[in-house]
Amino acid sequence: MLQIIIQGLLLSGLYALIAVGFTLIFSVGRVLNLAYGAYLMIGGYAFFFFSQQLGLPILLGVILAGVLGCLAGLLKYRLLVIPLKGDHVAIEISTLILAVVIQAGIVLLFGDSPKVLLPIVPGVTQIAGASVTFNILTATLVSWAILISLYLFIKKTHLGRAMQAVSMDKKGAAISGVNPDHINMLTWGISGTLGAVAGVFFASYTQLSPSMWVAPLIIAVAVVIVGGIGSIIGTLIVAHIIGFMEVIAVAEIAPELRGVFTMLLIIAVLIIRPQGLFGREEIQ
Amino acid sequence: MNIRWYHFALWAAFMAVMFALPEFVSRGTLRTVIFANFLAIFAISWDVLSGRTGYISFGHPFLIGIGAYTTAILTKRFDVAIEASIPIAVIVTMIAGFIVFLPALRIKGSYFALVTLAFMELMYQLVQVIRPDLTGGTRGISGIQGITRGAVNGYYLSLTLLLVVAVTVWLVMRTRVGTALSAIGMNEESVRGSGLDTTKLKLFAFLFSALIAGLGGAFYAHYVGAIAPRALFDINFLFTIIVAALIGGAATTAGPIIGAFFLTFLLEYLRPYLPGAERYFIYGGVALLLYMYQPKGIIALLETMKDRIIRRSST
Repeated sequence: MLQIIIQGLLLSGLYALIAVGFTLIFSVGRVLNLAYGAYLMIGGYAFFFFSQQLGLPILLGVILAGVLGCLAGLLKYRLLVIPLKGDHVAIEISTLILAVVIQAGIVLLFGDSPKVLLPIVPGVTQIAGASVTFNILTATLVSWAILISLYLFIKKTHLGRAMQAVSMDKKGAAISGVNPDHINMLTWGISGTLGAVAGVFFASYTQLSPSMWVAPLIIAVAVVIVGGIGSIIGTLIVAHIIGFMEVIAVAEIAPELRGVFTMLLIIAVLIIRPQGLFGREEIQ
Repeated sequence: MNIRWYHFALWAAFMAVMFALPEFVSRGTLRTVIFANFLAIFAISWDVLSGRTGYISFGHPFLIGIGAYTTAILTKRFDVAIEASIPIAVIVTMIAGFIVFLPALRIKGSYFALVTLAFMELMYQLVQVIRPDLTGGTRGISGIQGITRGAVNGYYLSLTLLLVVAVTVWLVMRTRVGTALSAIGMNEESVRGSGLDTTKLKLFAFLFSALIAGLGGAFYAHYVGAIAPRALFDINFLFTIIVAALIGGAATTAGPIIGAFFLTFLLEYLRPYLPGAERYFIYGGVALLLYMYQPKGIIALLETMKDRIIRRSST
């Protein structure tokens, strides 16, 4: 029982970190970024390249991965989102194509075979009979730190409040002197950075492979749908619901069913309460 | 029904070229064309639902996979004759299409796209877990009975199927129902406002699309002979279908066919120059640039070209 709680908390922390960047774009930019999983892949592989192949210090590796993710986000906004002028369907489709292109690019650079990422923080400890790697413990702590600072950033700073304003009403924000274009740009950058950092931890939790972008995308989608847009707290709670559901499914029912309940939850919530459990009433 | 003589002339010309094709090309090319034919069928199926009504389905492999799995299980595990198993597969796929339709009653836009994506992932995971003795689990089912032997026969079979599907869709979309479906894609509220039952129209689009997907999926399973969850319920497969429909030109009948052939042959013609992974990179890149340049697809590019030539000759 205690083991399930610990496992659940750790996994949920990772999931929250994965989902938060996706939520941000969906809330502020109002677009589904289906290439979000590709940020995680870029982050994971960049970290692998910098710290494992070049032998740079780990922290520098994480930072460089974050910078690359930020760059990817900004480029995507400039080259994809702006030219398509907010056409939602076109953006969704083109980000899907982009994700496949990035996948091919990764195969080109690093080959087809999966790569094992050494733990970012090596070591194992025992908590209440459950063995916990320092790696995932760090991931959870970092995730909490990032989520809290993001929450404070959005609630307390001027820039964060401007982001909220754009997410609620773009025109209204523009009238109040906020440039939605700049805010969007900023959001895409932050989202890319968060995605890439999440990717480093996600990759060290599973492994690096050119198709690793699908699973985190599905998780992010699940969290955003069930949580609803525009709520960081919602993201956090739902990440825990989904994380715990998976851990319980693996421990009590069957390991193969770990994703099934998540999918059922998505479908049920979308049909019963399309705006999500914690989301705002308005849709589209 | 504004059908002109040149429509029939174009269809006839297309059919003539396609039926004569085995005389001119190698067996290898023919096999590539067979895949293009199947991809065209899947793309048409996607287009009937998403291209016309604007309900973007990210779960189309869900429908195709159900069609393929149903017929594979029936023929392989229960020794049902193909003549019976394919119609059953189509019916089962249409039931699945009805399930996909239910969320469309309440949600639209990005949310609908996501729920269909969830359907596909759900199916991917369930197929491996529930009754692996029937579905073959992760490894899927191989050694599915074929309908024909040899590339030429396979080609004619897939071509006939494609033509039947394409002509039927083309005719249906020229009726008032087809117009109404396209109108839903533009503005659902105003269609309802003009006194049409949008629920019934949407249901029709979903079932029609599922019918084509089931038909295509079932014949495809018998053609390739082996199916596996990762090959069917896969985001890359989804990508190919959607991109084929969009690059060719959504909401047209010729568009998905053009797109499917363009994609298949682009991949095939890159092979001699780029044997490795670069091929998929270039392939995706071309798809992305083409889509960004003209989201209405190749068919719109051809039309502008035609207009330009006509204008030039008239002045």
